[in-house]
Amino acid sequence: MNLISVQSDLCTGCQSCEIVCSLAHEGSCNPSFSRIQIKKWEEISVFVPIICQHCENPPCITTCPTRARTRVCETGAVVTDEKRCVGCKSCLYACPYNAPVIHPITKRTMTCDLCNGQPLCTQVCTTRALSSTLDGNLSMEKRRAFGQMILHSMKLR
Amino acid sequence: MIRGWTGKRLRIDLSLQKAWSEDIDQADLNQWFGGRGLNAFFFSQQLQSPVSPSSPENPIAFAVGPLTGTLAPCSGWTSIASFSPLSNPPGYAFTRMPGHFGAQLKWAGFDQCILQGKADRPVYLLIEGGMVKFETAGSLWGKETTETAVALQEEKGDRSMEILCIGPAGEKQVPFANVIHRLSWTGDHLGLGYLFGVKQLKAIAIRGKKPVTLHDSRRFLNLCLNLKDHIQKDRKISRLKEEGTFSLIGQDGEIMRKTEGRWFPSGSDKQWTAAYRKSYFSGKEGCFSCPVHCGRITQHPESYFGGIHLGKAWALGPQIGVYDWEWTLKLHRFCQAQGLDPFATGSLLALIMKGIEDRSCSEEGLDHIYDLLESGEKAYAILHWILNGGGDKFRFEIPPAFGNEDLDVLGDIISFCPLVVNRLNSMTVSNIIDLVYAATAYSLSEREPKNIVSNILQMESLLQNKEAFRNDASSRARLVDYPINEILIKEERNRESIGYEDAS
Repeated sequence: MNLISVQSDLCTGCQSCEIVCSLAHEGSCNPSFSRIQIKKWEEISVFVPIICQHCENPPCITTCPTRARTRVCETGAVVTDEKRCVGCKSCLYACPYNAPVIHPITKRTMTCDLCNGQPLCTQVCTTRALSSTLDGNLSMEKRRAFGQMILHSMKLR
Repeated sequence: MIRGWTGKRLRIDLSLQKAWSEDIDQADLNQWFGGRGLNAFFFSQQLQSPVSPSSPENPIAFAVGPLTGTLAPCSGWTSIASFSPLSNPPGYAFTRMPGHFGAQLKWAGFDQCILQGKADRPVYLLIEGGMVKFETAGSLWGKETTETAVALQEEKGDRSMEILCIGPAGEKQVPFANVIHRLSWTGDHLGLGYLFGVKQLKAIAIRGKKPVTLHDSRRFLNLCLNLKDHIQKDRKISRLKEEGTFSLIGQDGEIMRKTEGRWFPSGSDKQWTAAYRKSYFSGKEGCFSCPVHCGRITQHPESYFGGIHLGKAWALGPQIGVYDWEWTLKLHRFCQAQGLDPFATGSLLALIMKGIEDRSCSEEGLDHIYDLLESGEKAYAILHWILNGGGDKFRFEIPPAFGNEDLDVLGDIISFCPLVVNRLNSMTVSNIIDLVYAATAYSLSEREPKNIVSNILQMESLLQNKEAFRNDASSRARLVDYPINEILIKEERNRESIGYEDAS
């Protein structure tokens, strides 16, 4: 299963991911129609992409009163069934990231569906703040990066 | 239905505290496209004779192109036009601003925004949800640009809002003050800060939630993905990406020429850029929908982070004989906080510092600067002196910053990045034609962009010709028979106001 790995320190706030998401899913361009949301603190130049992490034990599935939140077998993505969703926002409150987005028109929640396994946002992110990785590799890559940091500081000494 | 464009023009009159929207005909959009073209079109239609930059009637026009706010790569630029205090005698001038403001304007539902009039007290504009609110900016007046932006966002509880604001320099009506948003992106070369200051307009807070609709979204998506991929693989672009705008130093000699070899020994540019990368570089920053990210986030010992661009650092560094990055960054930070155009400030500083060097400058209040040893310290002291009214005597003209090559103008009317389109030629005209077709269903022939560009250049040269404006729009002649204030009132009676709220 492919996951989207987020490294917010590499994000430059260009909003390409938001726009490609809205364009691919809705056919029009605006960040409020996007399933990934960039939060910015421009005075310190910090940009943080917030996106569904497709948790192993998703609180949104547990809390959803209409069982609209389900996991798709093929991609492993946790998505909202639009027909069942009543827009009660329980998933939003339950989510530790506040990742579900309220669709501005239908008022139902929407989250990342991993674009059927080939996430477009990772294709347009040129700084690799968003990258598509295999589920198993995610922790390995982060550990390696951390290990390298330690190695670097040891060499400096 | 108009696609790509929104077909709307937002008119704001600060004197009347009214805002309304006008339709722009599809035929006009096809002819003038957007950005610089739409601005030139508006000025030629609405004004018969030049107006003084200090008069309330002077319009400030912001315009974006058909691809702004979409996935099209490097489409984050905004064209701005007005009668500038920096041209001599004051005349029609235009500039472009990178960043995110244009995209928000498009999402707010407008291709163009015209500001006219003068507020009776300091105000800021809040453009949100189809409404324009005029709010008192009493508590913001006097604040630095960063503080203003953060205070506004916190007050409205919306950090996704874009704030375009002026600093204390603009409020004091320094002719070369600028406007700034997201700390890094500025509208330079036009004296926009001065124009905002004259209108008593502290800031524009804008948040758009309307989506940009496209003719063929599938095709548009594929075109954009391919083009982004192509741009990313370009060797010149990857150099720009790695080194930021620093990679352009000395490449075509443009920046070197500015220094006239007077200050800068050849070969030391590499040392200068390396010093930045080693000690101050902390990350990248990008314009809207940009695959390049040439902005640089700077880490400074005084815990300061913020965008920096080579041109500006150069203007406040080697161009004025300051090689110490500490001082350059301090000057840059000062310009950023006060809202001063770094390019114009650099030119003026160079002029005064040269005067001090040859002892030909005998201005009052400059005596203590003669004793300072370090050039950075000198520049900093002069900057304070200028801001406190010392530089009023200096009259200087800023030469037009941009070329009039066809690709440059084409980039401007579509609101594309001039670096990518013109300087590095990473996008071809046929790419642009394809994108425009997929977005708007308006098919351009290979030759047409050239015609559009030459029309616009002709129109601009007429506007800049200070003697007379073109007046062939006979159908609208009645408009120019009246002084502009009356026109605004007349029009306002005819049209429905899109929103009006007085904060008091």
